[in-house]
Amino acid sequence: MATKASRSAARVMIAPSVLLLLGWMLIPLALTLYFSVLRYNLLMPGANPFVGVENYTYFLTDPAFTDAIINTLLLVGGVLTITVLGGIALAILLDQPMWGQGIVRILVIAPFFVMPTVSALVWKNMFMNPVNGLFAYLAKAIGMQPFDFFAAAPLASIIGIVSWQWLPFATLILLTAMQSLDSEQLEAAEMDGAGPLARFRHIMLPHMARAITVVILIQTIFLLSIFAEILVTTNGGPGTASTNLTFLVYAESLLRFDVGTGSAGGVVAIILANIVAIFLMRMIGKNLDT
Amino acid sequence: MGRIALHGVTKNFGDTEVIRPLDLEIEDGEFVVFVGPSGCGKSTLLRLIAGLEDVTAGRIEIDGTDATGVPPAKRGLAMVFQSYALYPHMSVRKNIAFPMRMAGIDKVEQNRRIDAAAAALNLTDYLDRRPGQLSGGQRQRVAIGRAIVREPAAFLFDEPLSNLDAALRVGMRMEISELHTRLKTTMVYVTHDQVEAMTMADKIVVLQDGVIEQVGSPLDLYREPRNLFVAGFIGSPKMNLMTGDEAVRRGATTFGIRPEHIIASPSEGLWQGTVGVSEHLGSDTFFHVHMKDHPAPITVRAGGEVSLHHGDTIYLTPDETRIHRFDVQGMRLT
Repeated sequence: MATKASRSAARVMIAPSVLLLLGWMLIPLALTLYFSVLRYNLLMPGANPFVGVENYTYFLTDPAFTDAIINTLLLVGGVLTITVLGGIALAILLDQPMWGQGIVRILVIAPFFVMPTVSALVWKNMFMNPVNGLFAYLAKAIGMQPFDFFAAAPLASIIGIVSWQWLPFATLILLTAMQSLDSEQLEAAEMDGAGPLARFRHIMLPHMARAITVVILIQTIFLLSIFAEILVTTNGGPGTASTNLTFLVYAESLLRFDVGTGSAGGVVAIILANIVAIFLMRMIGKNLDT
Repeated sequence: MGRIALHGVTKNFGDTEVIRPLDLEIEDGEFVVFVGPSGCGKSTLLRLIAGLEDVTAGRIEIDGTDATGVPPAKRGLAMVFQSYALYPHMSVRKNIAFPMRMAGIDKVEQNRRIDAAAAALNLTDYLDRRPGQLSGGQRQRVAIGRAIVREPAAFLFDEPLSNLDAALRVGMRMEISELHTRLKTTMVYVTHDQVEAMTMADKIVVLQDGVIEQVGSPLDLYREPRNLFVAGFIGSPKMNLMTGDEAVRRGATTFGIRPEHIIASPSEGLWQGTVGVSEHLGSDTFFHVHMKDHPAPITVRAGGEVSLHHGDTIYLTPDETRIHRFDVQGMRLT
């Protein structure tokens, strides 16, 4: 890419893919923005008049919106806490030399390969079902009342399921980080008088910091858009107890056939996701610099 | 105080015997170098002393008390690792402070010792940098600083200079020697480089296959190598070893003569050969001489400005008072 000619040739050759990607992004975004300012309900065919910010006002003042925001934050925060803490613990355990290490590692990673709908259904019907589920059976075996997970603690149950799915990912990333830790550093710390806890606190944790931020970043992106698990288990209910932002947009546009409000919700979700992204990028930037 | 004694120490990794039963005394204030080819068990031996590996059998005494089962931190030893093992996320100051922080020494005393160590090691300007921003030699000094502030009974060095370039290595060698004369603390130093061993040690321990081949001062080892292995290992360039008629005539199976104990002449001498490769170092010239009935070339040291070239005929005369004779088992004959 040294000469002027080769540089402009490169630009010409790269142009189609750039244009394609731009179109791919801009056309749906533009259409969403356009729909979000129309009164556009599939149940009321006819004219779709321009209504300005009415859809936004409606969406943002809907009591379900506040619930959805809180639920989204709880879901993301809860799953992140469980997977990061659990991932650190599992990574350190799996890093220990032990018999059958290879098989154990594959078993730990396995849940990640189960698709969300399937794993949510398995949890719903085989484990958490208050009549036929394994947990109900165990509770009855020790003489306790079976716990109706999705009725009594819908969001916590979903957090549990999603954590189960994402724990392997966190473990995998953190395990590779642990394996790249120079054993001489741990030995030096041991000679310097650091006990197991001090070694964890002063050597292992700082070493894993970068991997932890990567886990948080990637998981947040995916956790903000959790949908399948909610759809197949609680359908957002009871009421709005397990409705997150993604599910609320779905409910507006596809259950109430209100394309206009749904689009407005989509735009709101994009803005919120970007706010989160800015915070995360700052955090990552600080951590990746050093 | 830093007197270390090993009694019948062995170490096995699975079925492999890395250290055979071994006895060794290290006196207080001594600079002891473990030297040997890679895989001879010298690093393992150091790690046994440090407590980073458990002995399979035998006893390790530090200052007369049994330290075999004592955890590494409680042995009062400080170690400098080959990779320096600095903590990358801490500044130099925090790195040096770490062992004192773990020992719960108060802040004032910590700072006093850090400043003293930094001044001694020329690190004062770098105290707030991270290890990643330092050069190899500076990192090495930080690692030494971290060891010094603990005021240990003995320092353990595990090939500390092998990651440095040649010029820096010579400089650091001097600094470590100087540190030893200043602190008068016991130092145990592992290296595969016999030049480091010769220049730094009070006492050299030559190891091979987990067995001590010889213990002695550098000059003892140079003058009277106990066996063929030590004879070949100590001294640079290596001692010439010859078998056959020349050895039998001197009443030995193998006899050795160092390159510096052979007189080279273009006109007369005991052996005749042709010059192969010659290395001109300015102060010295080393000729690799090919002889008719001796397969390996003989290395000879001559004065700096002897002008002999590839293919010239050369005559060699060994100094018969400086030859080393070895028997069938490779042990020295006296």
